[in-house]
Amino acid sequence: MKRIEVKLALPVVAPLLDVIKGMVDSLQQSLAAPLGVRDLEPEFGASWTDELVASQNADLRVLLALFNDEFFTEGVVAFDADNAEPIVRATAAVRLRLREQFLRQLGDETLESGSVELEQLNEPVRKAFMCYLFLATVQELIIQHLDSTILES
Amino acid sequence: MTRVQSRTQTTPAAQRETELAVQGQWRVVVLNDPVNLMSYVVLVFKKVFGFNESTARRHMLEVHEQGRSVVWTGLREKAEAYAFTLQQWHLTTVLEVDEAH
Repeated sequence: MKRIEVKLALPVVAPLLDVIKGMVDSLQQSLAAPLGVRDLEPEFGASWTDELVASQNADLRVLLALFNDEFFTEGVVAFDADNAEPIVRATAAVRLRLREQFLRQLGDETLESGSVELEQLNEPVRKAFMCYLFLATVQELIIQHLDSTILES
Repeated sequence: MTRVQSRTQTTPAAQRETELAVQGQWRVVVLNDPVNLMSYVVLVFKKVFGFNESTARRHMLEVHEQGRSVVWTGLREKAEAYAFTLQQWHLTTVLEVDEAH
């Protein structure tokens, strides 16, 4: 099984975990991306939403499980065929929620280009933006190295 | 099970209209968002629709540049299944009646 291990800078990443956990908590009952299909029967739509939220929560649990004892002792996280797909989805969910709760003020163009003056941001927004970038890096790493694993699963 | 909400449930004509809509062709449309990475959207299109790299990239660029891309057209039930899966991947998706059919 293909597996990649990444050594992260603990002093940089550990402080971001509280932000990630906060977003995971806020996603427990709601979807990261708004439900676009709006003409479903109410009962069917509610069951769709419940199923999507449950699937989102399952992915988020896999993301949080990355930050285990090995991460806190050695700063290492590992991606493989079992966790790559849920983590890629979970990072998308958390990034969407970060934008909704902290980063809207930056404007979408700035957010897409990533050209932000960190020193000009207040502490919560700066931390949220760093978290947003960190999760994008995780996503890119997985897509770059485990793309075929995800497509074949 | 009819899953599309009927706008009026009292008149047979409206009910017939709903039935026809369900039986007709529907478009699965992915809308742009400023968050998801281009590489992520390409991966999702390849995974969900089995697109090759260039088709997936073309649809991703359409979403990015035009704000939306029609990624699939067909019967309502399958369109709903695709919309559900795309929603699981956090891509904003809408379904539209394909007026051409």
